[in-house]
Amino acid sequence: MNFILLLVVLLTAIAFVGIVIVLAKAISPRSYNAQKFEPYECGIPTRGKTWMQFRVGYYLFAILFLMFDVETVLLFPWAAIVRQTGVPALLGVLFFFLILVLGLAYAWRKGALEWK
Amino acid sequence: MEEIKYIEPAALRNEMLRLRNEAKMDFLESLTGMDWGVPAEDDAPGTVRGLGIVYHLESTETHERVAVMTSTLDREHPELPTVSDIWKTAKINEREVYDFYGIIFVGHTDMRRLYLRNDWVGYPLRRDDDPEKENPLRMDNEETVDETTEIELSADGTIKNKKDVIFDDEEYVVNIGPQHPATHGVLRFRVSLEGETIKKIDPMLGYIHRGIEKMNESLTYPQTLALTDRLDYLSAVQNRHALCMCIEKAMGIEISERAQYIRTIMDELQRLDSHLLYYGCLAMDLGALTAFFYAFRDREKILDIFEETCGGRLIINYNMIGGVQADIHPNFVKRVKDFIKYLRGVIHEYHDIFTGNIIAQNRMKGVGVLSKEDVISYGATGGTGRASGWHCDVRKRMPYAMYDKMDFKEIIYTEGDSFARYMVRMDEIMESMNMIELLIDNIPEGEYKVKTKPIIKVPEGQYYQAVEASRGEFGVFLESHGDKYPYRLHYRSTGLPLADIVDTACRGEKIADLITVGGTLDYVVPDIDR
Amino acid sequence: MEITKKPKIKDIPYDEFTDNDSLEKLVNELNQGRTNVILGVLDDVVNWGRSNSLWPLTFATSCCGIEFMALGAARYDMARFGFEVARSSPRQADMIMVCGTITNKMAPVLKRLYDQMADPKYVIAVGGCAVSGGPFVKSYHVLNGVDKILPVDVYIPGCPPRPEAFYYGMMQLQRKVKIEKFFGGVNKKQKKEQSEE
Repeated sequence: MNFILLLVVLLTAIAFVGIVIVLAKAISPRSYNAQKFEPYECGIPTRGKTWMQFRVGYYLFAILFLMFDVETVLLFPWAAIVRQTGVPALLGVLFFFLILVLGLAYAWRKGALEWK
Repeated sequence: MEEIKYIEPAALRNEMLRLRNEAKMDFLESLTGMDWGVPAEDDAPGTVRGLGIVYHLESTETHERVAVMTSTLDREHPELPTVSDIWKTAKINEREVYDFYGIIFVGHTDMRRLYLRNDWVGYPLRRDDDPEKENPLRMDNEETVDETTEIELSADGTIKNKKDVIFDDEEYVVNIGPQHPATHGVLRFRVSLEGETIKKIDPMLGYIHRGIEKMNESLTYPQTLALTDRLDYLSAVQNRHALCMCIEKAMGIEISERAQYIRTIMDELQRLDSHLLYYGCLAMDLGALTAFFYAFRDREKILDIFEETCGGRLIINYNMIGGVQADIHPNFVKRVKDFIKYLRGVIHEYHDIFTGNIIAQNRMKGVGVLSKEDVISYGATGGTGRASGWHCDVRKRMPYAMYDKMDFKEIIYTEGDSFARYMVRMDEIMESMNMIELLIDNIPEGEYKVKTKPIIKVPEGQYYQAVEASRGEFGVFLESHGDKYPYRLHYRSTGLPLADIVDTACRGEKIADLITVGGTLDYVVPDIDR
Repeated sequence: MEITKKPKIKDIPYDEFTDNDSLEKLVNELNQGRTNVILGVLDDVVNWGRSNSLWPLTFATSCCGIEFMALGAARYDMARFGFEVARSSPRQADMIMVCGTITNKMAPVLKRLYDQMADPKYVIAVGGCAVSGGPFVKSYHVLNGVDKILPVDVYIPGCPPRPEAFYYGMMQLQRKVKIEKFFGGVNKKQKKEQSEE
């Protein structure tokens, strides 16, 4: 496997981002005032505290999304070598899929997908 | 000249309840604050003096109209009874009168200023007030006060101020602020949220309050015409039409039929322009940016027609007292006919890309439902009222120009949700095109403007005239004392009830539905703030 | 002394723009002595990139705002200038086009938005109301001109100005951006201690 190419891509990415950030910091004008450090709320100062209890519904949605996102990412390597591995690998992946679908069915039945 | 009946403040509530319940006057069309000055020695008996209010009422069943007025001579602590529990629109209108005149309404649940800052000194529309002297430019952000005062009448007749809270300390209040792409102007909503659900909305107005009503008192009549274009700039022609008709009615000027035809055609073109922009902005707010470009591409064609005849694209100084400013361009008839043919061919595209889309339908159907009683009580006219089943079109109720000689449909839907409000306006586009086609070939010959005196002086009296602007009923209330400046020129705003009804429509909905409701109600903020 | 830098807009002759004098004065101030050739070319590259992608903040209070929207629409397409990405948040915007009347109640909000923008930032005052109060100059609640609270770079008069007038004003701003200098120590950096005075 040609890992030199991967190294070159990695170094170019880091250099590209790094040079832009360093250059911008070096030559840009800058000014400071009190309002710049305050949060933006359409031009009006904010009211009240923001550290408060959040609804658990947000967390449930985020967790479900994360799980299915990770599942999708894990499918990509299999998709790259699907021809070589053939049917046994397909069965393995389908089994993996089935477990996650059972989880989705449970969440659906329990009402985690509705917003109340 | 209207006959306005005078009622003493002590008898006002009983009379209003009688009018509401027995005479079925369920629509409070306009509530105007007035300052008739201090009593002078040479007053004729029966002259009204002091601070007061003029009410215009209408019954939606019998179409009977009544105007009443009341006043109080006390200038230090003026008090009048409230009617905000009888008609819900009075709540926000009385706040406006308190802001401008200082009149306290006994029984009102939320007596705060509406347009001006909390720390404003004085009451600007009073005749003896000098607003600029006491109020230099204050650059600090005003204090957001979450308390309001409720004025109660206790048992022994004295007034008691009870403090009420708008938002508790524990509530999570978000500012959907003046600078926001989706509020259609500088309107500030303070929204109390619980998760994604809206619990309460408090609109704060006045960020584009330009003091037009006070300026009108020192401008001559032709000069006041210039400011009407800038109120609701998407109904510019219709606003100016209302003011011109009011002054012509007061002076008894009859305009020629050619001018009537031209005014009606221009009104309907302006309505097309406004509804196309409504469609584009609603789609853009919901995320469908393509529809915005379609709508503006076709709107530019209307603006070309306006520019050729009137000289302006957005601020169209066309209607004058006595007619219109100049005769129509020779190309006008042909261009309008070509445009209508073109628009009929492309209007199906609008429905293809937006109306039938499953996402748009899910976001609009069943969202922000308004019942017919609410809409009448709040006075939300225009497409909003017609989408809830109320026959509120001024062109049918109080016909003017060529509308009583034409045959057109009034578009009514009964569901009252956002989808109904949207469909009302799309159907009105088709109806406006039909109306223009009826008129465009039959414009009679004649003069475009009758001769008026160089200095216009309106005879003494009080006059009210309304038109169907693109967003609802736009009314002009004029009181003249015989000289060349109006004594009081008040505009019945189309958007003020709509900004007020957002709270009712959005309780219990999700925060994303606020954008849908605000977009479909279709208000323009300079019209609310004047 | 000779002008070494002329801000050029493609296809429009330099002499057809009004007010070339203030730009020439700025060039003189910035380039006391001669410019280093290499740093000059670097400055030109940076300025070319910046002037062709100035992102406005969506700030429209009244009628001029509708003309601003028409500017972004299909016929007068401002995307071909690079201005299309109108950011709603001031932290991400390059310039603020003040379209519409500014009232006394709105003035602190506007100042706060301007303060929250990141440098370098520009202000264009669009329409009669933002330039000087416009038709509402006698009102008790209108700020007579936005230059009372913000430093304005370009003024576009009109009520409302035609979209072509908007473009003329935006091109003047582009010319102003093209003569700026970054390399070589002419940097408008404010030290943190200075700002706390």
